[in-house]
Amino acid sequence: MTYIEVDGLTKRFGDTVALDDVSFEVPAGEFVIVLGVSGSGKSTLLRTLSGLLSPTEGEIRIDGDPMIEPRPDVAMIFQQHNIIGDMTAYSNSLSGGVHRAGFLSSVLQLQDTEEKHRALDALDMVGLLDEAEQKARSMSGGQQQRVGIARALVQRPEVLLADEPVASLDPGSAQSVMGYLRRASEDRDLTTFCSLHQVNIARKFGHRFIGLRDGEKVFDGYRDDLTIDIIDDLYGDIDTEGMFVRDEGDGEGATDEVATT
Amino acid sequence: MTTDTTDSDGTRGPEAVGVDDASDVPDRIAAQFENIKQTRRRRALGWAGLAVFLVFTTLQAFAATELLNPDARLETFTESLTGFFPITDYFGVLPFLDLGQYIGFIRQENLLYDPEIGGLLFQFPPNPTDIYAFFFQELGIFQIFGEAGITLAMGFVGTILGFPFALVFGTLGSERVTPFPFNFIFRGTMSFIRAIPAIIWTLIFIPFLGLGPASAALAIAFDTIGNLGRLFVDELEEIEDGPIEAMRTTGASKPQIVFFGMLSQVRTGFIAWTLYIFEINVRAAVTVGVIGAGGLGYVLTSQQNLLRFTEMMATLLAIFLLIISVELFSQRLRSRLRSDDVEMSIWELITGFPRRMMESAMK
Repeated sequence: MTYIEVDGLTKRFGDTVALDDVSFEVPAGEFVIVLGVSGSGKSTLLRTLSGLLSPTEGEIRIDGDPMIEPRPDVAMIFQQHNIIGDMTAYSNSLSGGVHRAGFLSSVLQLQDTEEKHRALDALDMVGLLDEAEQKARSMSGGQQQRVGIARALVQRPEVLLADEPVASLDPGSAQSVMGYLRRASEDRDLTTFCSLHQVNIARKFGHRFIGLRDGEKVFDGYRDDLTIDIIDDLYGDIDTEGMFVRDEGDGEGATDEVATT
Repeated sequence: MTTDTTDSDGTRGPEAVGVDDASDVPDRIAAQFENIKQTRRRRALGWAGLAVFLVFTTLQAFAATELLNPDARLETFTESLTGFFPITDYFGVLPFLDLGQYIGFIRQENLLYDPEIGGLLFQFPPNPTDIYAFFFQELGIFQIFGEAGITLAMGFVGTILGFPFALVFGTLGSERVTPFPFNFIFRGTMSFIRAIPAIIWTLIFIPFLGLGPASAALAIAFDTIGNLGRLFVDELEEIEDGPIEAMRTTGASKPQIVFFGMLSQVRTGFIAWTLYIFEINVRAAVTVGVIGAGGLGYVLTSQQNLLRFTEMMATLLAIFLLIISVELFSQRLRSRLRSDDVEMSIWELITGFPRRMMESAMK
């Protein structure tokens, strides 16, 4: 069943073409990773999918409805996590579900117990239940990003978009955040769209890969199709050999993992 | 100019040879050097012109303020100064400032403490009925501080009444909340309020509430809308787009986006600015008192009218004490808010005070 349809999507900022006639379809429940160098249009694609930007031409349909403005069933996770530093992890998590509450009850945190349990459950899923009452600002980068994931989950979305969720994290935190993202998406059967620029992490966690270069879709395929030539093509002159060799090992491990699950 | 260049060439000659083989300065460097010299000369000329302009304008301003030909009466001034600073002979021999006169007036007029109300609270053994009367019948928390308490209460009430309006006007005045031409309805209202000082707002409210602390408190509240609202608008300009976008993607409503995405980013800033405006409002309460609205300002001007300079100085001391205490309190609170350190408990705040004083004294 096709869940996300992107049809001839073009996005221009003045004279700059950020996305050039991009089309693809994603069935429900797939974990898609968008690859490409900086400036290749990854962020624009995700922001357009989330409804933060509107397409210049073409259309995006999610669950059959055209995506014109942000919707509760499409959640987004940001590179800079964009959680509210002055609020606790719990309040941040709870803020994902404000679209189900009125203004006053969301401001005074008068949501019903079910909603509050949902916020704690989401924090538990990303391993932060014990830190629920900590101010978000005092948490580490990786923890803040996990709070961002919790907030997205409380939103109860069908689609999870993640714009470079691990780009500003150290390798260890990056792996763990990606792990939580992957697990959350599998647990709740979410269609997930994640942009990354680290090829090794991408190969370890992704099912399907979409490659962008200069705003054009240059690759669309599954793990086995993602060869070194494709990567070279995507990343151009950058020496990708080291990246690829190292992640062969990771990749095998990940394949086993996928096979067992 | 040319001699200048050769001089510097001459002195730098040996070094230049040591550094690179070219015996002469390359044209590119000479050209850039000349360029920099030109720029510096132009800049010096500009500064000189500015200085001449400032002196000229200042002279005109002196003339307008009658300072060029002042009607100075040094004798009267020294006479009033001796009134301000009465001298007495301590132990019959040591001439020094007669602090007793100040203290006497401060006590006589209840400038800092009202014994009638304070007596309810401070008695031994404590009397529960009187303590109840102090808090719930006399409502004495401010009144115990006498005239200073009235001034403080005017500033406090003004801040409390003005805050919610400042919050609404400030938020709606931000371009991110209200689209461009319409936000100027709110910004314009605040500019209008700011254009009129608190003391004049008091004059406007006198027909409504009479000459007294009530008009003054209302005037200060108005002033707060203008000043605090403006600070809120400015603070809101500084916020990041990230959390706003994040709240948009959750499908939140517009008021929810404003509250969670914007206001929650500036909460500490808003509290700190409100405390700052509270400081300013207490000072404003002194000035509005001068036109008769009560409190320390009123005592000051009535003593001045009677040319009783010693009593005037005593009132000034009381004002000084009040303002300094309010500022100390507000600044301590603000620095605690701004810092991300673990907050001190109230108990630690009190018991640790001598140690912290020592530490800062040693620095």
